[in-house]
Amino acid sequence: MSAAARTLDRDKLFAARLHAARVRPYLATALFALHTVESRQVPTMAVDRHWRCYVSPSFVDRTPEEELAAVWVHEVSHLLRDHHGRGDRVARERGLHGPGERLRMNIAADFEINDDAYGDGLVRPEGVAQPADAGLPEGQLMEEYLGQFGIGSATQHMAWLDCGSGADGLEREWDLGEDGAHGLTDQERDAVRFRVAQGIRGRPGRTPAGWKRWAEEVFHPPQPWRELLGAAVRSAATGSGAGEDYTYGRPSRRSAGVPGAVLPSLRRRPPRVCVVIDTSASVSDAELGSALLEVAAISRAVGGRRDLVTVVPCDAAAHVAHPLCRAEGIPLVGGGGTDLRTGFAKALRSAPRPDVVVVLTDGQTAWPATRPPCRTVVGLFARQGSYDEDDPDYAPDTPPAWARVVEIG
Amino acid sequence: MSSYAPPAATETPADPMSVPRLEVAAALLSLLRESTTEPRPDTQLEALTLAVSADLPVLLWGEPGIGKTAALTQLAASLDLPLTTVIASVHEPSDFSGLPVIGDDPAQQGVPMAPPEWAVRLVRAGRGLLFLDELSTAPPAVQAALLRLVLERRIGALRLPPAVRIVAAANPRSSAADGWELSPPLANRFVHLQWTHDHDVVVRGLGGTWPRATLPRLDPSKLPRAVDHARRAVCGLLAARPALVHRLPSGEGRRGGPWPSPRSWEMTLHLLAFATAAGSSREVLSLLVRGAVGDGPGLELLASLDRMDLPDPEALLADPDAALLPERGDLRQAVLDGVVEAVRNRPDKARWDAAWALMARALETGAPDLVVVPATGLAALRREEWDVPESIERLAGAVTLSRRADRATARAALATEGVR
Repeated sequence: MSAAARTLDRDKLFAARLHAARVRPYLATALFALHTVESRQVPTMAVDRHWRCYVSPSFVDRTPEEELAAVWVHEVSHLLRDHHGRGDRVARERGLHGPGERLRMNIAADFEINDDAYGDGLVRPEGVAQPADAGLPEGQLMEEYLGQFGIGSATQHMAWLDCGSGADGLEREWDLGEDGAHGLTDQERDAVRFRVAQGIRGRPGRTPAGWKRWAEEVFHPPQPWRELLGAAVRSAATGSGAGEDYTYGRPSRRSAGVPGAVLPSLRRRPPRVCVVIDTSASVSDAELGSALLEVAAISRAVGGRRDLVTVVPCDAAAHVAHPLCRAEGIPLVGGGGTDLRTGFAKALRSAPRPDVVVVLTDGQTAWPATRPPCRTVVGLFARQGSYDEDDPDYAPDTPPAWARVVEIG
Repeated sequence: MSSYAPPAATETPADPMSVPRLEVAAALLSLLRESTTEPRPDTQLEALTLAVSADLPVLLWGEPGIGKTAALTQLAASLDLPLTTVIASVHEPSDFSGLPVIGDDPAQQGVPMAPPEWAVRLVRAGRGLLFLDELSTAPPAVQAALLRLVLERRIGALRLPPAVRIVAAANPRSSAADGWELSPPLANRFVHLQWTHDHDVVVRGLGGTWPRATLPRLDPSKLPRAVDHARRAVCGLLAARPALVHRLPSGEGRRGGPWPSPRSWEMTLHLLAFATAAGSSREVLSLLVRGAVGDGPGLELLASLDRMDLPDPEALLADPDAALLPERGDLRQAVLDGVVEAVRNRPDKARWDAAWALMARALETGAPDLVVVPATGLAALRREEWDVPESIERLAGAVTLSRRADRATARAALATEGVR
């Protein structure tokens, strides 16, 4: 076959890269950082985890430049989105092994990229895998797609897919490996990712939402709110003034060894936790339920006995809070208006006064003007930004600086 | 059936076959302890060594049981320092702030705060590695007393000698039982190193072969150059990006972690000088810098170091035929852009010609698409009276390539118009 015997048409390949860099300027650094390797074993184009790009000469020969440009962008997206590293992690966590599972990872990774990679100056290559092909919605991550489809008739035509070890973490026979020339080190890869993310954040105008999200999260992944809320409640409950610490209230066991001196001793004083819940209609029952359960579990773990955890629902119709609290054995104190300030006031009026106030709200409320005399943790349900028809300029107050704020969801 | 007999049944002292049971157990234990070592590069241990050599307080964040203590033992051996481990959670605050000892006349003589025995030994030795383990599970009062020890090096009335180095360890917030965390001012005083285990190392180690890291040594001949390099890098970045000098952490997620301030930039400067003098890799430097000022500012410093390592445009223009351009495409384009910028700043015919020669060279030695943008910029700098140099003929390929890409862009724009 004459096509297989041809040498790589470098001009065509690099003209395509130039086109890709022109229509996706924020990816230029990453595109140019790729080292191209001519390979006859690769079906089309493939990347490895060291940022080498293996190219089949006959594929370049039979593909028009504009489609090649789309493939360049596709392949570099696998690397920027760290699909090989995430593939390895998923494989370990869920016990997915073997070439079949890796193929599914490659397909899931392609779904993640392809839903918003093309258009706007970049053509969609022939036969590219789309979430819709497997009947799945757009805009999800590789890990989410992975659990939703199997290799079957719907995905049969994708079985020829092969974006290389950079896409799914499985070494291929053509890979040059760690010791091969022109690979990028971990630190160099991070630097390239960082420059791309900076470019996107600097000029977010025409960037697709998927890339914007990537740029936001690449070096600061979203924090697990359960752990953060737990840490915030625990640290508020164990700080000085509550919980376990040294006290001069009773003599230390060591006092016998140092006659005449007064030494502190270790005493435990369980914290009183008061949970103020914004039960207005804008907070969904499911959100509230999960967050409230979490707070109850945490406060019990820090030594708050059931009688030390109280709940103040901040609305007349506190339908979720009541059954939940009955089931958890938490005493309910009072009802109240929809203004969180009354909720705060009610919580602080209860006797004995709480050591920690935990507020669960979506933030569409007024806040107390002064700092309450106890530690405050705010669990804030994430909202896309609110809009009021009567008052388009309305923006809800942000939680005050004295509270520790954990975004939930 | 089986030759195995339950041990309880054979307890007859007269049996000539019997060996005291604990001796057999000891033999088995010594067999289990037998292991060899193999050399293996270890970036996190190298980073820890450099930070400890630079006399900066290090905080190791890591889950319990992943070999922090083993790493400290190896570090102490390689630095030739005696290791003192203090488990913070089993001590009382007075163990670190000093135990009051009442003399004959407290009103006249005062009450001295006596240091614990391990501190006296450490001061007497004059040198050592003090490892404060389990910092995060100690009650707040103990932590408060410990932080004074870490930051001011004082235990009661004693002051630790300068040759004593201090390393602390803490569990990450998510797994810390009582959720202790550093306040921003304290976090700013530490170099934070995330301690993780390497799967391969653990499996191989349990199989009998533990890694032996070759630890960095400072090269005395490199010291002045290292200081100069570190100062240039940090000052160059901060002069261009004043916003990076001081930025308090915002958001719950970044609480307790490193953040940039003049203090942590000074630590970074020290770490950079130490890493340069030791000839450490970028990976090690990346751990240290990001551990001192945080990910964002740390990555910016590393990126500007990359740019500092690129060839100087003026040197390239002075001798274009001998020019060595970087192999990596993005760096190569950055160098060529720098050359065009240098010509724009001080335009004359000779420099313009030299720049064309560089473009031609780049086209011959690497991917052609990288040359297109800088060459276009260079062409725009032409003055009326300058003749087009001969070397520009060699750039014909880049021009064709550019036209080809133009045509592809136009076709793609047509094809995707409906999609948008």
